[in-house]
Amino acid sequence: MKYSYTKARKKSIITPELQLLFIFFGITLCMLLLTYAFLLFKEYRFAQDKAEIYQERENLSISQSSMNTQITFIEKEALLSERIYTQNIVLKDSIANLFDLVPQRITLSEASLLENGLILHGITPNEDVYNFMLQAPLRSIFHKSYSSFYPDKNGWLRFVSTNYIEDDGLSTYNDADAKQNKNIEETSNED
Amino acid sequence: MKINIARQNIYLLILSTLLLIFVLLFSFLVLIPKGKEYREQKLELRNDNFELKKYQNFHDETLEILKKLQSDHRHIITSFDNTFNAQRFEKQHKVYFDSLSLAQIKDSKDKEEEFLVYEVETSSQINSPKSFYDFLDAINKSDWIIGVNFPIHFKREAQTIRSSFTMKVYCANRDSNSTK
Repeated sequence: MKYSYTKARKKSIITPELQLLFIFFGITLCMLLLTYAFLLFKEYRFAQDKAEIYQERENLSISQSSMNTQITFIEKEALLSERIYTQNIVLKDSIANLFDLVPQRITLSEASLLENGLILHGITPNEDVYNFMLQAPLRSIFHKSYSSFYPDKNGWLRFVSTNYIEDDGLSTYNDADAKQNKNIEETSNED
Repeated sequence: MKINIARQNIYLLILSTLLLIFVLLFSFLVLIPKGKEYREQKLELRNDNFELKKYQNFHDETLEILKKLQSDHRHIITSFDNTFNAQRFEKQHKVYFDSLSLAQIKDSKDKEEEFLVYEVETSSQINSPKSFYDFLDAINKSDWIIGVNFPIHFKREAQTIRSSFTMKVYCANRDSNSTK
């Protein structure tokens, strides 16, 4: 016999209100934890990226310093080579000028180009030709110029011309050379 | 006045309050500081990236300068890197002389800072000074960096001129350069 029109319900601890509450807080907590996990992951990635950036910067810095050394070295090489090339050209011009300086009547038998001087050996028809045509231009170039003569077989004169650009360190050497030349001159005059 | 609240509702209220407190504490004590940290780190990383970009640009500019220098001075660089070969030199420059001989290759006393200098004594025979001028022009285009040095001696011998001079051959001293 039925005493009620409604059916008997099973009583549960989780009531619909509690269920709703759990769902609500469950979603909230899930969102919070996901956000936290995202932040933790990002922190880890940032640390990784930072380490990579520092490593790359370190590599760039090493490469930069190596390139700077190379640039400096190449610039030094370019400067040195330029200096050497110029020296060679200047040397060529000086030798050409020297040979142009010698008149046709005078014949050179030997020429020594020194760092600060020039020694010429040759034959001249007479002393005047030498003095006017070779000695004069040499004197205008060099600070000290000494000449000595001695007769050759055919009546011409053999000469030794020693010319120096004055330099403090060389002056004593030049004086000694001058004395030597004077001696040669004296002996040749005696002959 | 008596308020009638069911026991179940009281449990519900306590549970929801506790959960709310947990959510608030978690948010304020953990999430918000972490979020602030994240923002700072993001900003820092952006700055670092910007710095790196600047570094990279500067590096690229330097690399371009280096490449330009290397291409502009290719001949000079290879000339400095070449080791002096007396036989090859004689072969290349014999056209300017009737005879050419090189001797006494030695390290020079006056070492340039980062360059090795070899001194070579040369004796040769030439027809006319013109050959010597041509030789001086040619060594500026040779495979080595060579400077002709004083003293230079010319001596007439019958129809030829005997010449002797010293040359300095410069080579890059890579060891000293790399140690710097």
